[in-house]
Amino acid sequence: MRLYEFEGKELFKRFNIPIPPGRLARSPREAYTVLSEMNQPAVLKAQVLTGGRGKAGGVKPADGANEAKTVSERLFELKIKGFPVNTLLIEPRLDIEKEFYVGVTIDRANYKLVVIASGEGGVDIEETAQKHPDRIIKKTLDISEEFYTFEAFGIAKQIGIPGELLRAGAAIIVNLYDLFKRFDAKLVEINPLVLTKSGDLVAADSRISLDDDAVFRHPELKEMGIESRHEEGEMTEREKQAQQWGIPYLDLDGDIGMFPGGAGFGIMGNDFIHYYGGKPANFMDSGGGPSPERIAKMLVLLDENPAVKAIFGARFGGISRCDDFARGVVMFLKDHGLSKPIVMRMTGNMWQEGVRIFQQAKAENPELFDRIEFHGIETPIEEISKRAVELAKGERSD
Amino acid sequence: MAILVDRHSHVMVQGITGGAGKFHTERMLAYGTNIVGGVTPGKGGQSVFEKPVFDTVAECIEKTGADVSVIFLPAAAVKEAAIEAIRAGIKFLVVIPEHIPIHDMLHVRREAVAHGATVIGGNTAGVITPGEANLGIMPDIAFSPGRVGTVSRSGSITYYVADTLTRSGYGESTCVGLGGDPVLGSTFDEILWKFEQDDKTKAVVMTGEIGGVYEERATETISRMKTPVLAMVGGIFAPPGKRMGHAGAIVEGRMGTAKEKLDMLAAAGAHACRTFTDIPETLKKLGV
Repeated sequence: MRLYEFEGKELFKRFNIPIPPGRLARSPREAYTVLSEMNQPAVLKAQVLTGGRGKAGGVKPADGANEAKTVSERLFELKIKGFPVNTLLIEPRLDIEKEFYVGVTIDRANYKLVVIASGEGGVDIEETAQKHPDRIIKKTLDISEEFYTFEAFGIAKQIGIPGELLRAGAAIIVNLYDLFKRFDAKLVEINPLVLTKSGDLVAADSRISLDDDAVFRHPELKEMGIESRHEEGEMTEREKQAQQWGIPYLDLDGDIGMFPGGAGFGIMGNDFIHYYGGKPANFMDSGGGPSPERIAKMLVLLDENPAVKAIFGARFGGISRCDDFARGVVMFLKDHGLSKPIVMRMTGNMWQEGVRIFQQAKAENPELFDRIEFHGIETPIEEISKRAVELAKGERSD
Repeated sequence: MAILVDRHSHVMVQGITGGAGKFHTERMLAYGTNIVGGVTPGKGGQSVFEKPVFDTVAECIEKTGADVSVIFLPAAAVKEAAIEAIRAGIKFLVVIPEHIPIHDMLHVRREAVAHGATVIGGNTAGVITPGEANLGIMPDIAFSPGRVGTVSRSGSITYYVADTLTRSGYGESTCVGLGGDPVLGSTFDEILWKFEQDDKTKAVVMTGEIGGVYEERATETISRMKTPVLAMVGGIFAPPGKRMGHAGAIVEGRMGTAKEKLDMLAAAGAHACRTFTDIPETLKKLGV
């Protein structure tokens, strides 16, 4: 879960990492007010959950209230990688002497935490890392290992923080590491950590990603107004609907509605459809052990999507039981009705019970099953994929 | 032989008295898994399907000789339970729950390495040695005893691969679900090397997925293996930058696209497959 810059800075403040005195504006009018009260050259920064903000024109200077109003009007109209700009962070402009980089992240392949620092902070840090790896300092730590101030002091010295600021620099690095561990972070970055002309170290930007799966044990985040959020820019209406129903769902640009089981085959099933000449209309993941209600809602999403010409269904019941799957499908057929052809395969845990549920429902209401082609373990999933592609082609009006 | 678990393993279930724990304990027993007991702190003295329940892992080991544990607990309880098991002497641990905090898994991994234990998961369907033991939630219909090992990040892919191996007559030696969480107890290279040392395993099918870092780690091991490795990677046609379900399945910059992973594995000597039907065809060509 990525935090906005201003939220990250709020956490910095709590960990005694110095930040510029900033204020938020949610309209040009508010930007005007902030500048008239601030009364010094400022910088207006669009708050979006994506990188590349500066290059997209999301950071602009303003001298005085009138300029702030016109500049912010343009900023609020921006879309940065699909993200609308709803909030600006307004801070006094810093007189920059030098920019550093400090970050902490996880090296997942090696199961370690890594403190990273460089004397060449700023937007090109990744390029620096590639071209001049020697200019990047890395300190690898075990999750249970203590990170000592003397070590941070050494790093501060290596990246060229001047002598009189070494203690302050070391404290910032240690505090950043503490924040990382205390809040179950995946990534914390100060880029740049600015040395001002007046000789102060200030965190000019923040980038923090927290572990969604650990948010439950940090109630103070909720108090700060930070809750789980969608991090992929703008959502389509269907994606919003799916999110409300708690179903991981993405719209794609094809015409085969994908109704698979878990995420693993959800991802690979999309490849299969491509291999056989079709295009999926979506990605979807039922999650582990979906209820019949959830199964029914998954089908509603696909049936109501006008782009969908045919539906591909696959259920290999593990923790997700076939009886619950069958109940969900029958619930959907009875309550909503099906307007597209479906080819589906169901096998795995409780498959006999799933088949029995289908047979019973079919005996009662045979017409509900008119457009369903049903298969069990005897048919390989590749055949189901091919058939879905055929069905989608057959349904095309052109 | 098989890897990790067989009919002689003494299996305990942590969280045996919970809903999921009970449901899957019954299934695992019905498969013939040698479950000897379970642990739920505070419920020692009870029994589940006639298997004794203990308050601590240490007691369970002492009374039953348990050497393998399967965890069915809420994600927030996994760190404590796993480290308790590892410190009590469990050498093989299967962590079924998903959404375990990443920092917790780093602690679990550290303890496992320090004590020479193997942890599988979290967010795994488990591990099965067909005909001998089924640890976790895998549906037994897909599996039959045989000579090909499988290792995958995804449960559903494991079922499809095993189903393919079963219907084509190869069968499976052991099937390992590494799990779908972003930080896992074990990695492809570690499991591949166990298969390499197993007499019964004549080939290994590894199925990776877009995102994450564990497929990359496998290349060096594959290049040293004599046992042939078949590789599939899901997400070849996934739109870049889109998050598709698994917490770990996020494209990380240029690292981690499915195509790059598959090319890397093939360059290390793995035989690339596109669909499941390619698997028996490739095995046939290799003379497995």
